[in-house]
Amino acid sequence: MTVIAKESLIGKRVAKLDAPEKASGRTRYVHDLDLPGQLHARILRSSRVHARIVSIDTSRARALPGVHAVLTAADVPWQRPLGVGRDQLPLKGDRVRSLRDEIAAVAAETVEIAEAALRLVDVVYEDLPPLTDVRAALAPGAPVIHEGRPPTKGAERPDAASHPNVAMTFDYAQGDVAAGEAASDVVVDGWFRLHYVTHCCMGVSGMIAQFDATGNLTLHSNTQVPFLHKREFAEILGIDPGRIRIIQPPIGGGFGSKLDIYPFEPICVFLAKATGRPVKLVFTREEEFLASPTRQPVLLRLTSGARRDGTLTFRVCETLHDNGAYTSWGATTPFVMMQTISSLYRVPHVRYHTTAAYTNNPYAGSFRGYGNLQATFAVEQQMDELAEKLGIDPLAFRLRNAQDPGEVTPQGMHFRTCGLKECLATAAGASGFLAKHAAARAAQRAPGRVKRGVGMASMLHVGGGAKIYPSDGCGTILKIDDFAHVTLITGASEIGQGSETVLAQLVCEELGVPLDAITVVNNDTDITPWDVGVHASRTTFIGGNSAIGAARKAKAKILAAAARSAGCAEAELDLRGGHIVRAASGEAVTTLAKLLRSLHFSDRAELVMTTHYYEPPSRHQDAAYKGDVSAAYAWATQVVEVEVDTDTGVVRLVKVTGAHDVGRVLNRLGIEGQIEGGIVMGQGYALTEDLVVDHGVVRNPAFRDYKLVTAPEIPAMDVHFIETMDGEGPQGAKGVGEAPAICMAAATANAIANATGVRLRELPFTPEKVYRALRSAAG
Amino acid sequence: MSVEHYWAPRTLDEALGHLAGGDVTILAGGTDLMPQKNAGRVRLGRGLLNLSRVDALRGVAVEKGCLRIGALATITELLAHAAVREHADVLAQACDRFASDQLRNAATIGGNVCNASPAGDTLVPLLVLDAEVELASRPNGSVATRTLPLAAFLTGPGRTARAPHELLVALRVPLRRAPAVGRFFKFGTRPALDISTISIGFAASRDGGTLRDVRLAYGAVAPVPMRSHAAEAALDGAALTDATIARAAAAAREDVRPIDDVRASAWYRRELVFNMTRRILDDVAHA
Repeated sequence: MTVIAKESLIGKRVAKLDAPEKASGRTRYVHDLDLPGQLHARILRSSRVHARIVSIDTSRARALPGVHAVLTAADVPWQRPLGVGRDQLPLKGDRVRSLRDEIAAVAAETVEIAEAALRLVDVVYEDLPPLTDVRAALAPGAPVIHEGRPPTKGAERPDAASHPNVAMTFDYAQGDVAAGEAASDVVVDGWFRLHYVTHCCMGVSGMIAQFDATGNLTLHSNTQVPFLHKREFAEILGIDPGRIRIIQPPIGGGFGSKLDIYPFEPICVFLAKATGRPVKLVFTREEEFLASPTRQPVLLRLTSGARRDGTLTFRVCETLHDNGAYTSWGATTPFVMMQTISSLYRVPHVRYHTTAAYTNNPYAGSFRGYGNLQATFAVEQQMDELAEKLGIDPLAFRLRNAQDPGEVTPQGMHFRTCGLKECLATAAGASGFLAKHAAARAAQRAPGRVKRGVGMASMLHVGGGAKIYPSDGCGTILKIDDFAHVTLITGASEIGQGSETVLAQLVCEELGVPLDAITVVNNDTDITPWDVGVHASRTTFIGGNSAIGAARKAKAKILAAAARSAGCAEAELDLRGGHIVRAASGEAVTTLAKLLRSLHFSDRAELVMTTHYYEPPSRHQDAAYKGDVSAAYAWATQVVEVEVDTDTGVVRLVKVTGAHDVGRVLNRLGIEGQIEGGIVMGQGYALTEDLVVDHGVVRNPAFRDYKLVTAPEIPAMDVHFIETMDGEGPQGAKGVGEAPAICMAAATANAIANATGVRLRELPFTPEKVYRALRSAAG
Repeated sequence: MSVEHYWAPRTLDEALGHLAGGDVTILAGGTDLMPQKNAGRVRLGRGLLNLSRVDALRGVAVEKGCLRIGALATITELLAHAAVREHADVLAQACDRFASDQLRNAATIGGNVCNASPAGDTLVPLLVLDAEVELASRPNGSVATRTLPLAAFLTGPGRTARAPHELLVALRVPLRRAPAVGRFFKFGTRPALDISTISIGFAASRDGGTLRDVRLAYGAVAPVPMRSHAAEAALDGAALTDATIARAAAAAREDVRPIDDVRASAWYRRELVFNMTRRILDDVAHA
């Protein structure tokens, strides 16, 4: 008698399923794909920040041997506006509003010929006054970036909303701010400035578009939202969405950059249509810096108050978002910022106004954290400022105002699980925060050119999807073959974050089969069921629950068949190690493969194939932005230790101690990688990364001058997991993808203030900026 | 216009012969040339001359009272060479702050010198070592050489006194008798893999508690890497007291002529010159 012990994959260190392919260089990204007969495309962009196009002459480019098509707006009069704001055409015909604006596109035999053809396109411009300062954009008489645009929503603020450069506004309120102000014993107030950074995906943007003989369109695309894009492409191109198939090759990083449709994508399709050939368009690295979205830059004023006893009283926040020339997802980041302002800590009274204004600068998209890095930067600095004023230590002040499990916030978020207090206590305890903070504070004026300091910040982010679209669901199809090999067909996209491994783990856990008995198919809209996309830290939670649902249906069918043949109740059986076993003893009854074959090759003639669609129990917000938008919420606290060289302004990160409420750890190796990567991304945001936009011109579109953090600068990391076992989460897990990047800049600012006594409210903390601040504080 | 001729000669004579024809671009390690060409900042000539097979341009040796470094010596070779450590330690220190391992394996000292970047990593240590450049040409069939002090060779950002038909064949560093101290400092956002915001080279002989023969040079603070003679004068023969150090650092701050660029403002560069000169000298004083 064989006895099979119960073993769990949950919480184990599991190597990513795609690791062998990637580590051995076999992975074929869109750059590596070549279709028979394929042409290569390049785009001509504006050489002016803001100008009227007087004429475009493509005759010399068209005459170049090897050129198959040269398109301008005049060649595609049927093109339709795209993007979140539907405020730009793929090819600009009469006016350019930023340096990334697309004017002409070429498809040619080679990339070199296409580039040579671009140099032969003659464009005559008539310059218009550039508008590159977001404050100036709302001044009376400012140049209008989009004339004749319908007025923006926000009727309660006719002043701002009536300005023709306003792209989007958000207004939120809870409680009575006047009462909060009256109840306050201390108030802090400040402006915060958040800069441009960009995603720097290792895989740059790219696409291959191909029409077949009957007019069906296949796109090899790096998109993070294939099912939404089917519909959007159809709308832009004026074709039936059912005729569009999107195949995602392995994607070299997303981080939110591939959530919107950008002009290059329909342009690639226009060229495929014009030439009747597959057309491949892949950005250069310089183009990736110039013409892909940035993180949203924000000017933010925050005022916070508290009582002498250490309870928060109110917050007032107003922001100015530089919308750039066109509206993409960056304009909607106030939606997420609002949650941190209203609900990271208990605060009864809140008023919040945001305005995104058009300029001639680059435009921002979605980026890991989605506004939360910006909001947390301000909120968590003011938590330290208030604590200082009240003479309470920063940890005690935060604990005093921290949320508890079960709370429903005034904004309507319901925290069914909430590990914030454990996160605070764990990160502070493991790092020795209180002793270090007190010692550094006492040593601020002591001699010595290098100062040490410690700072903390916490965060709240959606961890159970985000109900933004009509559905926040994910579909799964699962089949098991005659040899007990499982194929998991999921709508959830893999962008390098490790979702396919986690989904495979969850299914294997249900079916009692090893990880090498599963294949994940997740990249073809003609095969996979619908999913809203990979964003909002949602894939483990939503895709995971969907996969578990399908696996449980399969398991029920298998156990029913096994119970029939064993003559016992289903509940007496279980699946373990590829076998049907007796649940109580672990005694093997038969192999899973044998049982599946007996079901298939019998009078019943059945295969095990199941489907499941999971829709989280979250709700859309109402018109006042109230509602429980996510099925679960993730929490974290990070403590950052720094050394500040007062001779140079160099801030060195010594150590980061993190405590993350992730619900439950599913893949320990994967989650450590995500958190470490997020910490480094947050470090870059805080210290080194800075896309310099000078009067509409990106001055550093290369890794030589855009400084990513490299290995020697990465701090020591000590990451702790707080497992709150979320009741709705798959095996208790919550989302974690965005969380680790969110606290870093705020915690670093607090650590610098602790080390030097100087508070910095403008990112990034480059040596010169820090040095200047230290010098001007010294007088 | 594209490249019409590509040559990869094996002898110096052949190489100089190709150069004499005019409109020739010289390729050594290629780590500066190729990015500049790709960015459109350098136009390749009709001839492309790859020097990598010219063995006469290789090697590091002590001869005739100097350390002679062949133009094709790579940064990795310099780092590993005992004679460089012994006679030109400040250069070895700079090589340890030079880009990444991959670039150090390809980049040559001759290329770094001829590129003549105001921020070039090897120029500042070579200046404080009183290095000379050895140039060769073949004007009328026979090889001619001339020697120039490095300070005279560097004439502007990206500009040198090398004539188009000339090749930099070696650098010469005079050997010194007195026990020497040397320090190299480079400020960038990363320890090595970055272009200097400023760099500082320091060398001197020790005579008991005082310094003699002081040489202090600065990179990325003027059109060419430069010596600060005022700072040197403040230190020469003086005891390294706090007051002397402050005087020298202030003199250097006055001497440099930095600009604002994407990496730093002129003001910040001057501040770094003062603070870091002081730190280096403090370090020497307490060593």
